[in-house]
Amino acid sequence: MIERWEAYWFPTAPTRNLAICRIVAVAAQLFLFYPSLEEHVNLLRKNSEFIEPQIMVRAISALLPREVVFTPSAVTALYWITAIAGAAALIGLFTRISLLLFALGTWFFVSHLFSYGDRHHTEAVFCIFLMLLALSPSGEELSVDAVLRRRRGKPARYPSGNADTAIWPLKLVHVLLALTYFSAGMSKLIASGPRWLNGYTLQNHAFQDAFNRGFPVGIWVAQHHGVALFLSYVTIFYEVFFFLSLLFPRTAPLFFLGGIGFHIGLYLTGGYDFFQHMVLLALLLVFLAPPWWRAWLNRSWAVFRSREPAEVRS
Amino acid sequence: MPRHRVLISTVIVLVIGLHAVPVLYRSERGTLWPFMQWAMYKGSSPPGPIQTRVRRIIATTAQGHEQEVTPAWLGLSITVLESWYLRPMGTGDSTAAQRLMDRLNRDRNDPIVALRLESALYTVTDSGIVERDNPPVVYHGHEPESR
Repeated sequence: MIERWEAYWFPTAPTRNLAICRIVAVAAQLFLFYPSLEEHVNLLRKNSEFIEPQIMVRAISALLPREVVFTPSAVTALYWITAIAGAAALIGLFTRISLLLFALGTWFFVSHLFSYGDRHHTEAVFCIFLMLLALSPSGEELSVDAVLRRRRGKPARYPSGNADTAIWPLKLVHVLLALTYFSAGMSKLIASGPRWLNGYTLQNHAFQDAFNRGFPVGIWVAQHHGVALFLSYVTIFYEVFFFLSLLFPRTAPLFFLGGIGFHIGLYLTGGYDFFQHMVLLALLLVFLAPPWWRAWLNRSWAVFRSREPAEVRS
Repeated sequence: MPRHRVLISTVIVLVIGLHAVPVLYRSERGTLWPFMQWAMYKGSSPPGPIQTRVRRIIATTAQGHEQEVTPAWLGLSITVLESWYLRPMGTGDSTAAQRLMDRLNRDRNDPIVALRLESALYTVTDSGIVERDNPPVVYHGHEPESR
């Protein structure tokens, strides 16, 4: 049992892959998903108390008075500290500490935003991934830390470039995505049964959200029962059966690719902005793919490279 | 198992296990971010009209200025604006209107004296989307105590 556990979570993998994951995830959070300071300050100015404080906010409030942490000036300071930590994590300077601070800061801002009676699912798994990166050797390569270490003549921690702790964050994200999709799919089937698949349900969801948010594709879907019916089956199939990618890893690339398409579709039909999931699925597609997929990618890349000069000349 | 693997294994079990908490612990379902219950859009609609309602609230000040009540103005999300004010006011709940006015009038020199709820129902039909405007509903505030 323990051997199987270790074989699953701790196979040796290149630390360079994890470093690329760090750069992509931190860059995405810094440049695409970074919180709006204006929004947080506005929430603090307009609300004298939280409506439904998240556990992290409650924990901080238990340690420090609200007047100390949850003020516009304190939150502004935290905002910039988090941004500086993010920049350091991106270039890999004091990687573990900077990533930990960046992840904690990000958790703080999302928790604060969701403490006023509204919450969304888009950030959760991605933020957990940021924290997992802080607990793994994601700064061993492609980092200022690595350059400084080489300059000082210190030996690399993983001379072969491989580590048994370089893949578990991606594997855990894969499990979490399977868990969350399964939960989302099953809750629909348990709460509504086969009626969720009648097409009218998706037409109504799409119409309500797409119309209010101004998404023409969603409004078009809402006007076509057959399309909504088809997409209902696609949704349930994808959500309920995503876990098969864990049991049959050879199928994983298809689920990851399908997932990116699924989320693009969700965005177009209702403005459901699971961009963080798209980033995670893309990372899994590249770095958690089975050998056949990597071989196919390598072959395609080789073919592309061999054709490139001829195309350039023409 | 080496120590570092034991530590990581503990983290793995903890992260997966914590996802069960919001499912099992109902009262804290919405406050354990990032460990969440993932039931989204689980409700269903029977065969019938495909409709959506668009509502907005226009505030009128004592000096006669009008301004739409937005989430940014209120310092609340659209979801809370919808559930606390738009929907109740749509059913004729004047207490919701009064609560909203009280909230908006904090620290205002030109107080809000009336709220007008405007709503329209949009329906998908074979000939396109049909709009049906509902008559606006106006809620007047209580007289300020100082008057």
